[in-house]
Amino acid sequence: MKRVLTSTRNFLLQTKLFWGLAVLYLVGVFSSPINRKGINIFLSPGNQSDVLRQVSNNGIIAVGMTLVILTGGIDLSVGSMMALGSVVCAMLLTQQGWTNASFLAIPVLALVTFFLSAYLVPLIAINAVRGSARPMEKANPSVRWCGIIFGAILAILSVWWTVGQLGTKFGVLGVLVAVPAVGLVFGALNGLFITKGKMQPFIVTLAMMVAILGIARLLGGSNMAVHPVYTGTNATENFDILRALVFQIIPVPGIFFIFAVLVFGFVLKVSTFGRYIYAIGGNEQAARLAGIRVDQLKIAVYAISGMLACTAGVLYTAQYRQGKPDAGAGAELDAIAAVVIGGTNLMGGRGSMIGTLVGVLIFGFLGNILQLRNIDSNTQLVLKGGIILAAVLLQEGQLGVRWKQIRSYFKVIDSGQEAGAKSRQVEEASK
Amino acid sequence: MVAPTELTEAPNHLALQMRGISKTFGPTTVLRKVDFDLRAGEIHALMGENGAGKSTLMKIAAGLIDQYDGEIYVGGKHHRMVSPRDATRAGIAMIQQELSLVPELAVDENIFLGQEKVRSLFIVDREQQVRAAREVLRPLDFHGRIDQPIAKLRVGEQQLVEIAKALVAKARILIMDEPTSALSINETERLFQVIRTLAKEGVAIVYISHRMEEVVALADTVTVLRDGQLIGRMSQEKANRREIIRMMVGRELQDVFASGKSETSTRKQVLEVQNLRLENPAPTVARSMLVQNVSFSVGAGEVFGLAGLLGAGRTETLEVLFGLHPGTSGGEVRVEGRKIRLLTPVDAKAAGIALVTEDRKRDGLVLGAGIDRNAELAVLRTIATFGLVSPNEELELADRTIRNLGIQASGPRQLAGTLSGGNQQKLVIGKWLLTKPRVLLLDEPTRGIDVGAKAEIYRLIGTLAEQGLAIVLVSSELPELTLLSDRILVLCEGRPTALLSRDQFSHETILEYASPGGSVQPAFSEMEVAR
Repeated sequence: MKRVLTSTRNFLLQTKLFWGLAVLYLVGVFSSPINRKGINIFLSPGNQSDVLRQVSNNGIIAVGMTLVILTGGIDLSVGSMMALGSVVCAMLLTQQGWTNASFLAIPVLALVTFFLSAYLVPLIAINAVRGSARPMEKANPSVRWCGIIFGAILAILSVWWTVGQLGTKFGVLGVLVAVPAVGLVFGALNGLFITKGKMQPFIVTLAMMVAILGIARLLGGSNMAVHPVYTGTNATENFDILRALVFQIIPVPGIFFIFAVLVFGFVLKVSTFGRYIYAIGGNEQAARLAGIRVDQLKIAVYAISGMLACTAGVLYTAQYRQGKPDAGAGAELDAIAAVVIGGTNLMGGRGSMIGTLVGVLIFGFLGNILQLRNIDSNTQLVLKGGIILAAVLLQEGQLGVRWKQIRSYFKVIDSGQEAGAKSRQVEEASK
Repeated sequence: MVAPTELTEAPNHLALQMRGISKTFGPTTVLRKVDFDLRAGEIHALMGENGAGKSTLMKIAAGLIDQYDGEIYVGGKHHRMVSPRDATRAGIAMIQQELSLVPELAVDENIFLGQEKVRSLFIVDREQQVRAAREVLRPLDFHGRIDQPIAKLRVGEQQLVEIAKALVAKARILIMDEPTSALSINETERLFQVIRTLAKEGVAIVYISHRMEEVVALADTVTVLRDGQLIGRMSQEKANRREIIRMMVGRELQDVFASGKSETSTRKQVLEVQNLRLENPAPTVARSMLVQNVSFSVGAGEVFGLAGLLGAGRTETLEVLFGLHPGTSGGEVRVEGRKIRLLTPVDAKAAGIALVTEDRKRDGLVLGAGIDRNAELAVLRTIATFGLVSPNEELELADRTIRNLGIQASGPRQLAGTLSGGNQQKLVIGKWLLTKPRVLLLDEPTRGIDVGAKAEIYRLIGTLAEQGLAIVLVSSELPELTLLSDRILVLCEGRPTALLSRDQFSHETILEYASPGGSVQPAFSEMEVAR
């Protein structure tokens, strides 16, 4: 009996996050206004679809942030990264020929293509040739040269392909490849400063947050540059796809979000890359001493974070039909909040992608519920802050231990007074 | 179990009384209802093996551990020690093994840290501080300059500053944790003089050590702990070496240290080291190099010991061999005749070198991850295809490690942080054995683990040597070093001073060569001149 109880208790404790989401959902259902036709607005497919649409940008950024935080780092530059992505995307879509944006995007894309192929081709070759046999730690030179040549060819192809699009403006596929590549490079720059410059992630990404925002504004040519995407005839028509509904219910940004969660959740769970991320966050020194290339991995993690943030920028541009340098204002804090609500430890080493998914949904549903109740937006902020604190207290606060400490503190005061009284008595008696 | 022997004197003038102190770290119990009495003016030695709980007990008294069970009375008054401030207020000061001085500040600034002498409201009066510091340091036989940064002093001198700091804080109870581990013979003698003087003035002194000779020479009373329990207490007249050892170890020494070393002269050389050196990243006048002129070679199946005091450069030597100091280190290293470049641990691992660090919790394990995740860490690539880890092989690796090294665990998923010290150490070693190394570098492999596990580690080292590994062993415990090693290289302040073969092993010889200003074997002093 007792065993059943404890196992039930453990099960409930381990899944408390989901219960939190479930409770919030129920609150949503019961507090929701009901429209004239008697339909619960919160539960209506349109509303559920809207929530998914609203959370997906934050969610995509939070996926990258989860990886970064799991290594024990932080990435404050994602908001600016998203703004940069948004501006570059809008410019590529609407302006023909060589603009600031294409001048940035095309070489960057070539660079990324080259390095990724030069790195991945030998890896795949070794794994494929040896089949189920074990891959070597290092590729031999000839395989490495294969990768470099292959990378160079692909890079040239990418330049040829993108320059070809310059005359007619970029298509959807063009921006979906070129803009994340920009984020990848800036993210990798974050990682380079952190690992090779041996600087704190907080400082480096703070500096990048400021600098990249500046770059985003400079690119547009003016401070508050807004590049309309759909007005007039200069837009790329099929770009509308990125804000469409699939089966009239699932928004495309939501699909991007779910896809990112699945891919990187899978990577975290079963790949060497995921294991290394957990190991670095759990004990970086131990990981380094186990002969793991910690620096390389960290650079990769920040690059992924930047890439996802710029992807979110593309979706933002599609959603709001404009590229804005202040698109991602505060996005970094929302993402961090979602990751932390999801139970990922800010010190690194502990957490999961599924937790982040739940954290993002909790954050999104909360906002939705408050909106439906027409609660003042400033009150919303206060409530959101409270939810973050409450969630983290549940996750990390070790309420039992704290309670014990508080109790023992009072006990000490009591016994201290008793002891004091006793010693006074003794002193008086000895007089 | 030996019943605690009764103390004959009546418990008057008790400076410190600890009653029923218990402490657990997670699942491991470190202290089990320990009583400890300290009289004013006595020198009280607290003895026990590593991991017996002596440091923990005294850290509780000094307020460095905030959660414990039991009662503490100082001068008859009940105190709850929750922070170092509580202890300072109660007149307790602890000098830890790792000194807690600020290296950039001057001697007087360190002594008066937190209670600076001020002229007006907040302007520090250095002159008065220096004068006061001189006053305090005079009876301590201090030779250094008072307005100099701490970093420029020798360790022995720094220790005196720590003592002065405690005296300024009006400490009546002074706890010293292994104070001689970094001292030369002369410095040790001087420290003993200081301790005796202080005791005569009524300061109660707790002296934590596992060096038998020191304790017998110095202490009025000896208390022995083993596995977190009070084993016995005796006054100086009754204390003798044999009895103390029996109490500390719990059985006759020979059982534990039984080993038969076979001499093999013609070995294949596995590790050859020429002129290893390491620059001091923060050069002081005394030391511009942390390691220099270190050359040795280790054969297959040989256990090669590195001896020296704290700061002699033993750990640093191992670190250089493992590629942890690129840029600041130099020298030539060959493994099985092949010259290797050592810029990162990746290089070292590829060359077949494995390092088991002295602090397994800080450097060796991901404590929040399971045994499986820790065991596979160094060889993860080899069980993955296209970057995806095979779960079967992962489990197999973990099981193999648990089985081969005899790790006691509930299963391969048990968190490394919840294992006992001995089992953690086995896990670290096991992790490295999976990489099939040729050279195994062991830094203090038995630090903080209980006697039983220690014997198992000794056996493991023996087995590994038999299998042909070249093992380099660093240990501060001379009995361990002399028991396990085939040859010992003694280091002093980063330089080699002697290479001893098994028939030359003795604690006195090693200490003589290890002490600054001590002897140097002719072969090594000539090398010095040639430079």
